[in-house]
Amino acid sequence: MAESIMTPSRKTSPASAPRYSGWIGRLAGNPIYAGTIGRIANSRAVRLTILLGVPLVWIAALHIGPIYQMLRISLLENYPAAADGQNAYTLSNYRLFFEEPLYFIPFIRTLIFAAVVTLCTLLIVYPVAYYVAKVVKPKNRVRALLLLLIPFWAGELIRTFSVIMLLANRGAVNVLLREIGLIDRPIPMLYTYFSLSFGVVYLIALYMLLPLYSAIEKIPPQLIHAADDLGAGPWQRFRRVILPLSRDGIVSGCSLVYLTTVGVFAAPLLLGGPETVIFPEVIATLFHGSNDKWPEGAAFSIIMLVVSLSTVGLFMKIVGGRSVRLM
Amino acid sequence: MRHYFNDLPKTALTAGYWLFVAYLLLPLTLMMSMSFKDANFIAFPIQDWTLRWYGVVLQDRQFLDAVAYSAFIAFATTICATVIGVWIALVVANEGIWGRAAIFALACLPAVVPGLINAISMRIFIRVIDLPTGTAAIILAHTVHAVPFVVIMALTRLRSMPRNLTDAARDLGADPFIAFVRVTIPYLMPALLGGMIFCVLTSIDDFVRTFFLGGYKPTLPMLIFAKVQGGMSPQINAMATIVLIATALIGLYAEYLTRRARK
Amino acid sequence: MQPVVHFKNVNKYYGSALAVENLDLSVEPGQFVTLLGPSGCGKSTTLRMLGGFEDPSSGEIFLDGKPITRLPPNKRNVNIVFQDYALFPHLTVSRNIAFGLELKGLASDAIHKRTSELLSLVKLQDFADRMPDQLSGGQRQRVALMRALAPNPHVLLLDEPLSALDAKLRQQMQIELKSIQQTTGKTFIFVTHDQEEALTMSDVVVVMNKGRIEQMGAPDTLYSRPQSRFVANFIGESNFLEANVTAVHGTVATLDWDGHVIHADVNGNRVVAGDRTTVALRPESLYCLPEKPKDRLALEGHIERRVFKGAHSSLTVRLTNGKELVVQLDPVALSQLHSDDVWIGWREQDAVLLRD
Repeated sequence: MAESIMTPSRKTSPASAPRYSGWIGRLAGNPIYAGTIGRIANSRAVRLTILLGVPLVWIAALHIGPIYQMLRISLLENYPAAADGQNAYTLSNYRLFFEEPLYFIPFIRTLIFAAVVTLCTLLIVYPVAYYVAKVVKPKNRVRALLLLLIPFWAGELIRTFSVIMLLANRGAVNVLLREIGLIDRPIPMLYTYFSLSFGVVYLIALYMLLPLYSAIEKIPPQLIHAADDLGAGPWQRFRRVILPLSRDGIVSGCSLVYLTTVGVFAAPLLLGGPETVIFPEVIATLFHGSNDKWPEGAAFSIIMLVVSLSTVGLFMKIVGGRSVRLM
Repeated sequence: MRHYFNDLPKTALTAGYWLFVAYLLLPLTLMMSMSFKDANFIAFPIQDWTLRWYGVVLQDRQFLDAVAYSAFIAFATTICATVIGVWIALVVANEGIWGRAAIFALACLPAVVPGLINAISMRIFIRVIDLPTGTAAIILAHTVHAVPFVVIMALTRLRSMPRNLTDAARDLGADPFIAFVRVTIPYLMPALLGGMIFCVLTSIDDFVRTFFLGGYKPTLPMLIFAKVQGGMSPQINAMATIVLIATALIGLYAEYLTRRARK
Repeated sequence: MQPVVHFKNVNKYYGSALAVENLDLSVEPGQFVTLLGPSGCGKSTTLRMLGGFEDPSSGEIFLDGKPITRLPPNKRNVNIVFQDYALFPHLTVSRNIAFGLELKGLASDAIHKRTSELLSLVKLQDFADRMPDQLSGGQRQRVALMRALAPNPHVLLLDEPLSALDAKLRQQMQIELKSIQQTTGKTFIFVTHDQEEALTMSDVVVVMNKGRIEQMGAPDTLYSRPQSRFVANFIGESNFLEANVTAVHGTVATLDWDGHVIHADVNGNRVVAGDRTTVALRPESLYCLPEKPKDRLALEGHIERRVFKGAHSSLTVRLTNGKELVVQLDPVALSQLHSDDVWIGWREQDAVLLRD
């Protein structure tokens, strides 16, 4: 037993006896427990049924159920059913979408808007992610990352609200510009596409940052050095080595940002104006107030869901990322 | 030297990083500083400073009620989402179960559906099952939203758990339930704590689901939204500042926990 | 005496793959039994079936005469020491050891007494409040052992517990394990693929191959009387001589080995003149003489290769019938050879007939 001799024994020998758990023994020995949970746990078939049952019911009811109901109602003529109880299935709610530019145009606008925002976010965030993952020394990396994470613990609304502070007519930017005499009258920045994109990028940059960061961080530094030794300039090195190797991160980041932007809701309400009406607002009005048109709203939601998910699917197929990481 | 050329991109990257930090922090800093403005309206510049808005906020029944209501919803959501999420993770981690890849994909579904669609489908769903809008509906929707994140966090941890650990507990006389309580749960705990705080934050932060599913009682985001839409005063800034600091502290703690769990 | 563990005609399939076939095995109380075999031979499956972690596809398992085939692991009075120890990372050493005792509902004082006792048995008293990740490999090993012994199981199962340790520590632990087994008087069933480990510690070694028991017996019997080519090869090394039986007198057979007349022990096999069989010969049972002995049989040969192995040397000798034999000689025997032409002989009880 050479080991225990070599290892110095602890000075503070345990004078007090360690506390042992009594309740677990009482529980295990309790006849009521043994007859109920204990019996269930000891039977493999019952155990498996319970283990599987709750998750399956939950997923079927609450992950699939709502989307199924949305699909069903989108195919109904009326919801709730008309007074005479007649309620036929129809595709007219979907037809309406293509016939009415009032719906169709905001939809196209939303898709373009989301694509542009995604691209901008990628271009803005990529260098930052690269900097944190590869330029910052490893021991400072967590700190550099945390500095970027702090704003994202503020809620969606608070961040949206804080953008107003910056861009309002009497907000920081306008006041500053007027102070230094560049302008006489405030530039109306709020309630425009500019403020909306500014705010949305502000809201979602994190979803781009984290996947990019983890993908870039995984690139072995030897590969970058090897490219360096082979005489590749910074641009070549980026295009031929770093970019292809961070593809997974780009795909997950873009997918997440795109899906989030398509469904963004609070920001357009606060930062958008009449000419920036995007599809989520259109859908929302169909569910609220006097515009109680649920079948149409459901149909539009389905269209949006299908189009946005298939856009992302197509994108992943083309760019060829392996999987989307959620966090 | 070739490395001479490397300095230029490096400097540009450093500058880019700090610009981005400024972009992220500037609006929040402005928002917070406005809470100290001694005037009844929001506008720059700030000439006189005061703390009175904090006094107003802390005596504002509406605000305190909203905090309590949001906290309650977040608490309930976290409990439900943790139980369901861990449960699903246990199924997905169980190698004996056929089709667990499909279960995992479906468990993550709410995380890829855009927030608005998620909210609308839940709104339709609760009407179909005759559940009124209000507290229960909000908690349900928040839980559905939070479950995928709990599943992923718990699953990552479960996969790193030696299989023999539960076998050893069983061998020493624990039935599967006791083995779960005595071994699996303590093993999951560090990851779960981080995941639970994440649930709290997303629930407190959520606007779109509460907007569609809420009753008359406002949650914190609903209150802030209503105040922002109806005339601005630095009181909102004070309110937002308090919330921001509280959530940032919670978030930092969660980050600390998850980093420690990963080690 | 009633066997403490009895496998009765146990089969185990994974899908259509056979893991254990027609296993009949009885273990006497207080014995140190080792299941020995290459990986995939079914030894770990056998152990896991006894522990309750695998269900046999057919057959019955008895513990102390009572069938336990369908009992879950927590209802069986056997405990396992796992290969990777499986210590609970969130519990201290003493709480790890107390785990099984707590579940039995013992009072805190009684638990404390028992854990202290066990800890002092392996001289780890000072480590009671450490966490498992603060221990060395050997210490973890001892804690795992004590944790499994704490609830006083009928049988202790050990699943290759020494494989993660380095060679030196492993030897030390072999001795320690054996002495713990003797002081506690418990039945140990030990699984390993290391023949040396098996021979050092066991009262009985069960050699397994492809899901079947090849041979079981005391270590020295297995070594000197292997029944099959597999056993003769897996435990130690052997020369295999394919020869025809020409006569049998009692337990000694006379054989014709490609023109050479040799003698061998029949080793319990029923053979008659004319049978073709295999004879196993340990390299260290052979002796090498510089000249033809007058009083006994010896075969003439020529040394083809010499390999120096420290304590002994290994010679490859080509005989006049063209066959090769490997001979292991100590330095004294080697120094008596003055040329490469030698005569090789053996005691007839050292050559054994195999059943295959």
